[in-house]
Amino acid sequence: MELIGLANYALFMGIFIGIYALLALGLNIQWGFAGLFNAGIAGFFAVGAYTSAILTSPYAEGRLGGFELPFFVGWIGAMIAAALIAWPIGKICLRFRSDYLAIATIGVAEIIRLVIKSEAELTNSARGITNIPRPYGDLPYVESQMAYLAIVALVLFGAYLLVERQFNAPWGRMMRAIRDNELAARAMGKNVEYRRLEAFIFGSALMGLGGALFAHFNRSITPEAIDPMVATFLVWIMLILGGSGNNRGAILGAAVVWTIWSVSEIATDQLPQEYAVKAKYIRLFLIGLMLQLVLRFRPEGLLPEPLRGGQQSDDASSKS
Amino acid sequence: MKSKVLAIAGGLLAATALASAPAKAADVKIGLIGGVSGPIAAMAPAMIDAAQLAFQQVNEQGGILGGDKLVGVVGDSACSPQGGTDAATKAVNIEGVVAIVGPHCSGAVLAAAGSVTIPAGITIVTPSGTSPEITGLKDNDTVFRTVPSDDYQGRALARTLKGMDYNKVAVSYINNDYGTGLANAFKSEFEAQGGEIAGYAAHEDGKASYRSDLAELAKGGADTLVIFDYGDGTGLTILRQALENGFFEKFVGGDGMKSDAPIKELGADNLTTFVASSPVGEKSKSLDMFNEAFKASGGDPSAIFVTTSYDAAFLLALAVEKAGGDKAGVSAALREISNGEGEPIMPGEWKKAKELIAAGTAIDYKGAAGDENFDANGDVPGTYALFKVAGDGFETITEMK
Repeated sequence: MELIGLANYALFMGIFIGIYALLALGLNIQWGFAGLFNAGIAGFFAVGAYTSAILTSPYAEGRLGGFELPFFVGWIGAMIAAALIAWPIGKICLRFRSDYLAIATIGVAEIIRLVIKSEAELTNSARGITNIPRPYGDLPYVESQMAYLAIVALVLFGAYLLVERQFNAPWGRMMRAIRDNELAARAMGKNVEYRRLEAFIFGSALMGLGGALFAHFNRSITPEAIDPMVATFLVWIMLILGGSGNNRGAILGAAVVWTIWSVSEIATDQLPQEYAVKAKYIRLFLIGLMLQLVLRFRPEGLLPEPLRGGQQSDDASSKS
Repeated sequence: MKSKVLAIAGGLLAATALASAPAKAADVKIGLIGGVSGPIAAMAPAMIDAAQLAFQQVNEQGGILGGDKLVGVVGDSACSPQGGTDAATKAVNIEGVVAIVGPHCSGAVLAAAGSVTIPAGITIVTPSGTSPEITGLKDNDTVFRTVPSDDYQGRALARTLKGMDYNKVAVSYINNDYGTGLANAFKSEFEAQGGEIAGYAAHEDGKASYRSDLAELAKGGADTLVIFDYGDGTGLTILRQALENGFFEKFVGGDGMKSDAPIKELGADNLTTFVASSPVGEKSKSLDMFNEAFKASGGDPSAIFVTTSYDAAFLLALAVEKAGGDKAGVSAALREISNGEGEPIMPGEWKKAKELIAAGTAIDYKGAAGDENFDANGDVPGTYALFKVAGDGFETITEMK
């Protein structure tokens, strides 16, 4: 009993870590490699979650939907929708640098959230979308979680391989060149604006996919899920802590932060009853403290960005 | 350096994992999942205290089942789906709870039910998730609530107003699940009764001025403004600005508006045309018994959702006793102990209930917030009344049906 419970909890954590790792990977493309400060992760997360929800959920009165497409169509749709939304946003906002871009993207995410909260015909406004099918959701509790974890792990592994490949390709080197010295890259004839837009769209599509996976796991999506604290800043903490510029770092960061976030509550539960309510705030403090420590003692993150030049074979590096 | 940092990170993880040694096995646990941190952080502690009071009474009067201790395990849903599923997973798998009171916010209820408690077959009773979406969940009869759906209040208010000759109204509601749920239900019922909605708009929380929103609503020519918002928040601003500018003559509020803040801030003289609906704990003996007990334990019985929290906790304790501690039987037992038939049980009467259950007699819990007899969807009908301002407080005009 006790062991099954623990295993079950581990499965659940695995699923959440997988979903957050996808978001962190998406952010890594934007920040770690292209240097784009996107503080609007929640917006793309929401677009993905709602798109997939609308495409796959059964008919409900008063809102768009009732297509009941298979879940993978919904997930692909989520990526496409997030990419489509990212395109005009990137077109307009990417002219801003660093903190200005952050402000613009926070604003965009807020606009998306308000549209979702207000458009009853599209998203059922504040009430959210329910009865979203979960793949293998009809299985018993444990098996269903296992199946979903397998799917999430597969999706994450696929995304990781593709992103990793892209980073080691000439494209990745070019992105880092643009990030580190824009003028030099421009002088070498690189189309900086276009490449940035590419990275922005590519990363946003992954965030949309993460949102879709989240909605199907919970079988529901409500505007409360797109709160910037849990959908934007937590992802940032994961990437910074894991090591921006390193895909494995992004995944490790997601695992470490979510584990501490979740497990620390069990630890604080051991405090006496009268502190039960107050103790819940300790984990907020823990996450903040951890970020401070990492930034102070290890600003490059747990797994720093690899120095790729030395690691690549001469053959690969001479192609650029 | 690298290995050192990894070691520190690993150590942190190990430390948190080690600290989580399971508690004594003899305790029967019920989860109390609430929005401890997050947007309803101000309301959650009182709600959790009320639920703990129920467990305390159980323990003082002989404990549960074979004299075991009933323990409430507090979890933090942070009012978000992410937090709700996380807290519910821990409660179900790590703590091994037999049932859960909560989560508090509708979004967290939907997510926790969909991904954790329905698949795991754990019964949950939310004391404050008012979204109409909860009604339609495919839940194998495991999701209940002790608070009426917003849908119910909205419809009752529409019928009552129509009966009182309000024929043309404008509706302004706060843009969240509470406001939207109430406003939708109100609109459809008011129109079905032959009334006219001459303006219907959501507003965002926390702006300094709503004059343009109000001017827009007033264009429809209605003399009454229906406000679904909170009287100590944005609702107060709207009410003040509508009064100052004379946009409307009469005002109607939902239960969120029945707060002392408008009377204190605007003065009772200015609110003669203001009425508000609110759930009433039906002036019952049950409510008095709860109020007394909660006051004695240091709580404030007039805090919002404390009665429903208490009822949810006490009902689940009764259901667990009835089901003999079997998780799978809790939802069926919950229906048996509160279906309007049997020996009435008041809040705090654990000993009496325990004896009756042992003897196989049917019991019927009469809750502090109402009779708490669940319908087919696990919802309860509410008891609402319409209030007007009198002196420094509110007084009842009529019951709402």
